[in-house]
Amino acid sequence: MWKISSGIFMGWSLGANDSANIFGTAVATGVVKYRVAICLTALFVMVGAIIEGPKCMATVGGVSTLSPLDAFWCTLATAITIAFLTYLAIPASTSQGIIGAVIGAGIISGTADFSKLYKIVVCWIFTPIAGCVISVILYRFIGHIMKTKKVGIARKNFCLATGLIISGCYGAYCLGSNNVANVTGVYVSSGMISAEVAALVGGVSIASGVLTYSKKVMMTVGKGIVPLDPLSAFITMLSEAISLHVFTQLGVPVSSSQAIVGAVVGIGYAGDSRTVSRKMLVKVGLGWLATPVLAGVLSFIFIKGLGTILLNFGL
Amino acid sequence: MLFNKFFSRGKKEERVLEKIRSHIELLCKACEMFRQALEEGNSGSMRKISDLEREADGIKRKIISGIYDGAFLPYLRPDLCRFIENVDDVFDLLEDTAFSSMNIYLPGKIRDECFRIAFLNQRMCEMLLITFDAMVKGDDLREKVLAIRIYEKKIDDMKFGVLCDLRELSIDNYWHGKTLSDFVAGLTTISDIIEDASDHLQIIHLSMR
Repeated sequence: MWKISSGIFMGWSLGANDSANIFGTAVATGVVKYRVAICLTALFVMVGAIIEGPKCMATVGGVSTLSPLDAFWCTLATAITIAFLTYLAIPASTSQGIIGAVIGAGIISGTADFSKLYKIVVCWIFTPIAGCVISVILYRFIGHIMKTKKVGIARKNFCLATGLIISGCYGAYCLGSNNVANVTGVYVSSGMISAEVAALVGGVSIASGVLTYSKKVMMTVGKGIVPLDPLSAFITMLSEAISLHVFTQLGVPVSSSQAIVGAVVGIGYAGDSRTVSRKMLVKVGLGWLATPVLAGVLSFIFIKGLGTILLNFGL
Repeated sequence: MLFNKFFSRGKKEERVLEKIRSHIELLCKACEMFRQALEEGNSGSMRKISDLEREADGIKRKIISGIYDGAFLPYLRPDLCRFIENVDDVFDLLEDTAFSSMNIYLPGKIRDECFRIAFLNQRMCEMLLITFDAMVKGDDLREKVLAIRIYEKKIDDMKFGVLCDLRELSIDNYWHGKTLSDFVAGLTTISDIIEDASDHLQIIHLSMR
């Protein structure tokens, strides 16, 4: 069972890192206290992972057939890639990392199924686009209602505060349901654990990351998004959550960071203002390309090099 | 605390808005009292403006503590507080101007213009209250804010005329000249601060769209 440890570690780092996309804005703007935010995120991540988590697990495991040891190396390669790209301040996706790593392992074993990769890559391309399109539609729709309907300032304030909290909970649910497959999906395909147990273990590990180590990133992301007004922040969070939920129904794990970047670009487009710089978009694109490639290369090196050494030691 | 926010359904915000409204109403009352006292040369009424300023200070403290007790999104709080500070600045200036007016005799050359400026200041305060009510209801503020700007422009034009007339006056006592100058400066600056306050209302309104 020690082979699951790399997955638990990845789940922990995913929880610590990606929870910022969920309640970062609400915490930084003071709508929700940090403690309340992490408790809500942890709770809804677990609920999402348990209820809808298994939907994406078949996709992660279906890209290639993995042995339990390969599964360990794949998650470790992804965790290291994410840590390295985070160190370089390049937005990285665990979904792309794990798929890249599994493909890397599949190339060695000769079981890589590139036909399934096609569907996954199309979904990756559409993640920021979906975030962007949904946020434009929501911004225009809700913005139109806010402009035409005479709503008092107290009620508007109540609606926005409540909306930020509800969309945060929904975002946490969608993060759990979509991203838990990245954490423990490979163990299901390698036959180590069932999808339900994998969802529970993954959910708990993501929740532990949220509860123990998410403050720094949450504040950084939240304060970076603060220039958005409350309505834009609410729409950004809701668009990200809807995008993740749509891709969960398609059974493809995608990046919550890319969904939220797409949503912010959409808000900028709909509001006729520059909210994201070209430099930022280049950085996101770089992460988009580098994550699966780097994770794939690393898992290839691990399995070819370290895996052989461990096998020689009879592990 | 989170659930309080859900179940209170904006009651905290409504309480704060009611207090802000009474703060502005008090300002309207103070401006009216100032104008009447100036026209009648009534020092007793001028002294009462200090009492109104103290009352306004108390309301301001309650509003600020209400805001930082959790009313409104933190995003809005700085602009709301700046608006309250603006209204409070008008009270302070009105009190100083009232004090100056008790120690001078208004020369006939500028007397009528000063009455007119005091009247326009009162109108601006009333318009500020109308603008605030419109913001609370979610109405459009453009026309109201524009009206305040027009009033301010009018007072600015009158100010230059008053200053020209002032320069032609012969002053035989330093303190009389200084107090008169302070009075005119105070009387004509009130409109600038009211305009700033209305700009903040516009910012708050746009932030919530």
